Amino acid sequence: MLARVVRIAVVVALLGLTVTLALAFRRDPHDIKTGTILKAAPTFTLQRLDGSGEVSLADLSGKVVVMNFFASWCLPCTQENPALVRVYERYRGSDVVLLGVNLQESRENGLAYVKRMGMSWATLADDDGRVALSYGVFGPPETFFIGPDGVIAGRHIGPIAEDTLVTAIETLRARAVR
Amino acid sequence: MSAGDLGAAALRAALFLSLWGTGASIYAAWRRDARALASARIAAGVGFGLVVIAALSMMFALATHDFSILYVAENNAKETPLFYSVISLWAALEGSILLWTAILAGATAFIAFRGTLAIPRLATTALAVMFAMLSFFLLLITTPAADPFARLALAPDNGNGPNALLQNHPLMALHPPLLYLGYVLTSVPFAYAIASLILGEGGDRWLVATRRFALISWALLGVGIVAGAWWSYAVLGWGGYWAWDPVENAAIMPWLTSTAYLHSVMVEEKRSLLRTWNLALVVATFALTILGTFLTRSGVVNSVHSFSLSAIGPLLLGYLVAILVLSVGLLLWRSARLRDAEPIGAPLSREAIFLFQNVLFMAATLTVLLGTLYPLVAEAISGAQLSIGGPYFDRVEIPLALALLFLMGVGPQLPWHGASRATLERQFTAPIVAAAAGAFAALVTGTTALAAVLTYALGAFVIATVVQEFARGVRARRTLHGEGGLTAFSNLLRRSGRRYGGYVVHIGIVLVALAVATSQARTVDAEQTLAPGETLVVAGYTVRLDAIRPVSEPQRDSIVADLSVTGNGSSEHLRPALVQYPNSAAAIGSPGIGAGLRDDLYTILAAYDQRTLSWATIRMRVIPGVSWLWLGGAVVGIGALIAALPAPRRRAVRMPIAEVAVSAD
Amino acid sequence: MSRRVLIVIAALALAAALVFAARPHEATADERIDQIAAELRCPVCQGLSVKDSTSETARQMRDLVAQRVREGRTNAEIEAEFRAAYGDWILLSPPVASWSGLVWLVPVAALAAGLVFVTGRLRSTDAPPPAQPSAIDVAALRDRVAREEAAEG
Repeated sequence: MLARVVRIAVVVALLGLTVTLALAFRRDPHDIKTGTILKAAPTFTLQRLDGSGEVSLADLSGKVVVMNFFASWCLPCTQENPALVRVYERYRGSDVVLLGVNLQESRENGLAYVKRMGMSWATLADDDGRVALSYGVFGPPETFFIGPDGVIAGRHIGPIAEDTLVTAIETLRARAVR
Repeated sequence: MSAGDLGAAALRAALFLSLWGTGASIYAAWRRDARALASARIAAGVGFGLVVIAALSMMFALATHDFSILYVAENNAKETPLFYSVISLWAALEGSILLWTAILAGATAFIAFRGTLAIPRLATTALAVMFAMLSFFLLLITTPAADPFARLALAPDNGNGPNALLQNHPLMALHPPLLYLGYVLTSVPFAYAIASLILGEGGDRWLVATRRFALISWALLGVGIVAGAWWSYAVLGWGGYWAWDPVENAAIMPWLTSTAYLHSVMVEEKRSLLRTWNLALVVATFALTILGTFLTRSGVVNSVHSFSLSAIGPLLLGYLVAILVLSVGLLLWRSARLRDAEPIGAPLSREAIFLFQNVLFMAATLTVLLGTLYPLVAEAISGAQLSIGGPYFDRVEIPLALALLFLMGVGPQLPWHGASRATLERQFTAPIVAAAAGAFAALVTGTTALAAVLTYALGAFVIATVVQEFARGVRARRTLHGEGGLTAFSNLLRRSGRRYGGYVVHIGIVLVALAVATSQARTVDAEQTLAPGETLVVAGYTVRLDAIRPVSEPQRDSIVADLSVTGNGSSEHLRPALVQYPNSAAAIGSPGIGAGLRDDLYTILAAYDQRTLSWATIRMRVIPGVSWLWLGGAVVGIGALIAALPAPRRRAVRMPIAEVAVSAD
Repeated sequence: MSRRVLIVIAALALAAALVFAARPHEATADERIDQIAAELRCPVCQGLSVKDSTSETARQMRDLVAQRVREGRTNAEIEAEFRAAYGDWILLSPPVASWSGLVWLVPVAALAAGLVFVTGRLRSTDAPPPAQPSAIDVAALRDRVAREEAAEG
């Protein structure tokens, strides 16, 4: 009796192992989900990099907010920058706000980068990284999409393309209208 | 003909020979045909030579920077020093499988020539299994899945260079080959076990034939793992030696089952029991090496060793499944014949201790296996992402390891079949006193964590039992043979190498356990930003930052922090650095290590002022006892060597003529 | 001194040492920071803990943990804050009270099953003594002696 149980257990275990390993192929080890998606965006008040004032998330309620975390030491950030510039120009003056949040470097370095890359939108300094931590940021470049209801609708890790940006923004604007 | 062409042709010819060898040895075993065996032998020998030629061709191509070969273009650059060019043979996927195949071909040739002399039919069947496995690997490296000699249509001017982490330290020459030798040599006991099952032999001959292979593969695997820990410590620069990284787990699992096997095999040799279990252990060990290869190479787990996603994953998985199905099928089919004839023994006997030890090793292995695979399962089923890392493994494995330490001291002291109370008292008085002394030694040196105190106590316990055993053995030899103390001691090691070499191994394991306990319990670290001339004080050591300077070499640029460390009677100059290789996005931290018998001084350059080099953030870790880890690993290797060496032949005994005359009456 | 007495004394001394080592003590603030940092996974590293990592992200996380400890939060609250932002992935050891907590069951179950199996195979201590060996057994024993000497030597 025991022998039969052992046999069945062994066969089941092996089947389980095989299925597990085969299923593992479906998974991309670089795709990590975060806990803040579909939750209320953590509030913050951050100073602008050029020292010309503060920006609070609370002031932007009702608008579509695109938060892009960047740094000068981040190579892919330079790759995605042209897309950000074009999207900014497209939605300038509308209910879509583009915010840049500079991570893990001095304000001077961040400011120099902003000037060099022609980033004309509001760029903020997250000196102690608390805002990034509260959003669950893994590392720049990372972009969060916050709807007019203040809920994080989605997030993109890695350099973002123009159409991804536009699609996400338009989806959120459509929700606002309804 | 270029080196690449030669290598590619050699591999294809070797594949053909390997397939021929498979067929020839099957036929030879089935029909007991000597000529077929002879042709299989030739196939094995020539095949091995060809694979070696292929490996040497790749090394040549790397040394001469032949960028028309894709592998060379990806893993070598003009600036790469010769030493690192040559060892880049195993820097990436295709080359490391080539190395693996070369070792496998060597083992096959060994069995073809030496193994088949001793036990013809069993060894010939085992040879067939080896050829089949060799054919699979040769198939892998002659197809686009992993062909190391794949060509580039347009050869670039300069190659990528090896991965930054792999050209930072000469240990890269040692760790992979040792580990692969250990991995591949587990296939020999496996082949014999399968042969034994196929032929339906109930006996233990396959054990005897493969005893040395099992011991040698175990030793190489163990030493390879310690070399990997050393690499993690000296190269990765995070201040630790083991992180329960999936690939580290993949290496330790077959080592755990192999250790269990080495012990339960003794029960089978002494009393012809546990046959099915030992066969299962051999299969499990081998299967775990393939699983380990799969986890490392397929890209399904994120790890330090992650090779990129490639077609090889599904192929290795298929191979693993085939092996498991074949082995388990054979075991289930033959298990009736292999059943034990009698119960194992009394609870307080050596056999029982070996059984308990096996249970602990199995629990340890299962924990590592499920801990490594669970995140995959959870994500595949529910999409949830979770981590299983150091804290989980530590919490489970440390108590298991302590229990094993205890059994390590008890087992050799108990006789086979059972012990009486008087025996117990006699054997364990000194060890228990030693255990108490060990516990106090821990407290006195400031090691007060419970697990550490227990480790010291159990370590002293084991050492006392080993000393007792040696003393007893020396005494016996002096009485029986009249040898002096030192001669008796060395004869113990030479003539009873298996037993006393095993005791030396146990001492090595104790050293490793003490190293882990001490370093985990008493490591202190501190981090501070310093300007040149400023100091940082940790655990009685003063670290002064003397200078921060850039260093330029052909293949890399570094920023080096010159540190002077004084205190506790020592004075060192350490140079942690941040090294930038052109093919790497981020700088690699290179620690500055001052090794010592008591403490290691481990310094890291965490950050520095990039514009004017006016400050540097230095992290200093004082790690007590970590040097005993490497020492312990060396002792384990020495002990295994003592156990594996054959004893000198016994001298013939000469009878005096008078005695012969008397007995003739 | 009889062996038995020696054993008892040594065992008591050992027990005393272990009890001392196991004594519960209030963790200092620094120790608490280290404990929590050792349980958190560094988001930008390969499986390293926040305690071991030298990355800037890890440093900022340690600062946050230190601040929360100063503010008087419990270990569970601090871990919950990180879990809310990063998901359960940020914990290096699965929380017991969740689906992933099942992994804690595995070693226990394996040990229990193994021990049950093994004790079932052991001969009970009051079994009848083995019978006297026959001539065939004696010959087999001689064979075995020769084999063992060859194997051990």
